[in-house]
Amino acid sequence: MSSPFADLLGTLVRQRGVMGGLVVSESDGIIVDATLQVGIKGNVVAALAASLFRKARLSSAAAGLGEAMFLTLEAEHGRVCAAGRSDLILVTIADPRTNLGLLRVEMLKGLEGGTLS
Amino acid sequence: MSDDVRRLSDELARDPSSLVFLQLGETLRKREQLELALKVALRGLERHPHSADAHDLLARIAVDRGEMQRAFDEWDMVLRLDPKHGGARKGMGFVCFRQGKLHEAEKYLAEANALDPDDPSTVAALENIRKRLASGNGGHPERSESLPRAQRGGSRHSHPSSGQPPDGDQYRDPSPSARDDSGPDRAARSTQHAADFPRDPRLLFADLIGEEERTALLLDAQGLVLAGAYVSHEGRDVAQEVGAELSGVSEEARRAMRHLGLGEWTSIVFETQVAYVAMAPAPQEGLLLVAAARTTPLGLVTRFLDRAVALSRTWLESLR
Repeated sequence: MSSPFADLLGTLVRQRGVMGGLVVSESDGIIVDATLQVGIKGNVVAALAASLFRKARLSSAAAGLGEAMFLTLEAEHGRVCAAGRSDLILVTIADPRTNLGLLRVEMLKGLEGGTLS
Repeated sequence: MSDDVRRLSDELARDPSSLVFLQLGETLRKREQLELALKVALRGLERHPHSADAHDLLARIAVDRGEMQRAFDEWDMVLRLDPKHGGARKGMGFVCFRQGKLHEAEKYLAEANALDPDDPSTVAALENIRKRLASGNGGHPERSESLPRAQRGGSRHSHPSSGQPPDGDQYRDPSPSARDDSGPDRAARSTQHAADFPRDPRLLFADLIGEEERTALLLDAQGLVLAGAYVSHEGRDVAQEVGAELSGVSEEARRAMRHLGLGEWTSIVFETQVAYVAMAPAPQEGLLLVAAARTTPLGLVTRFLDRAVALSRTWLESLR
């Protein structure tokens, strides 16, 4: 049986360079659903994304900057993106070839779709 | 909605061509509802394009939004429409002062003073500027006096042509260490001493920030603030709170990247409803954070981040 997030994750992982898509609980970093290439450590991605997104949300609140919506962590050989508005966040892990702009649009579109709320 | 705003809004709705928009815009401005104030002023100007008071209102809102050049231009328009408008001259003097153009500031304030010699705020401001000019202290007041703000909408300055003009204190330079050299040039130099930087570490990035809607903060590995400032739109320095919430980010990202085989992390950028916030690893396991308004192109934010990292590296080296 497919989860309500299957279509959304399927759309994301079809993007060039995307190695995995996850729906993660922001409060504890637990994976709710994921589509990952073999070898990707989903738990590590989920824990990192949830923690970073939480910190972004809290620091943004402390600075009076409103709600955090989208986050990107860039590294030498890839990137992790996260988008969210509720306790559930949408996460992708991608290699440097990814078109970040396109991926961002797709992830925010995924949020707008209301699947995560 | 407060009674005043409601009453004025109703009045304006009944007669959209009335000049009550001036009062409404000013009330909203004083309450720091700057976007609304701006809308009201712009709509009013559509109907009254030759109203000096309407341009004056727009100038004061622009100052609150940190848009100094726009404020100057609006006051310039006020003077074309009403050459004897003393408030506009005070306003232009104030903007010039904030931009470090002390001679021009003195000229505008002297003209305002000639029009209204009994205005104590103009007299005090003029005295302070003349003292600075006489002492040869031409340091940039914006760089030495104010802190970078996270949101320019919350400027703490009162307004030269409002009911509460700036007093003489706003024209003082509290820091004798004010210097006029540019951040990028400074960051590019490799052999520098602590004396080359502002004495107050909160002002370390002031040159880089300039008049832009940006802020920068250097945190140590524990999330404690080393340099820079983060002033909220309420005018409160929230650097420690922001630092506390972000403590451990650097180490966490490094460990996770190692597990995932993605190499070293180079930046984290997140967008909020009103700003871009970007972070990068800083020397000694610290974290450099910059924030900029959403209107800033993201590419410029990351460039600003790179320059702030370079500057903080040089500064930390100078402390050794």
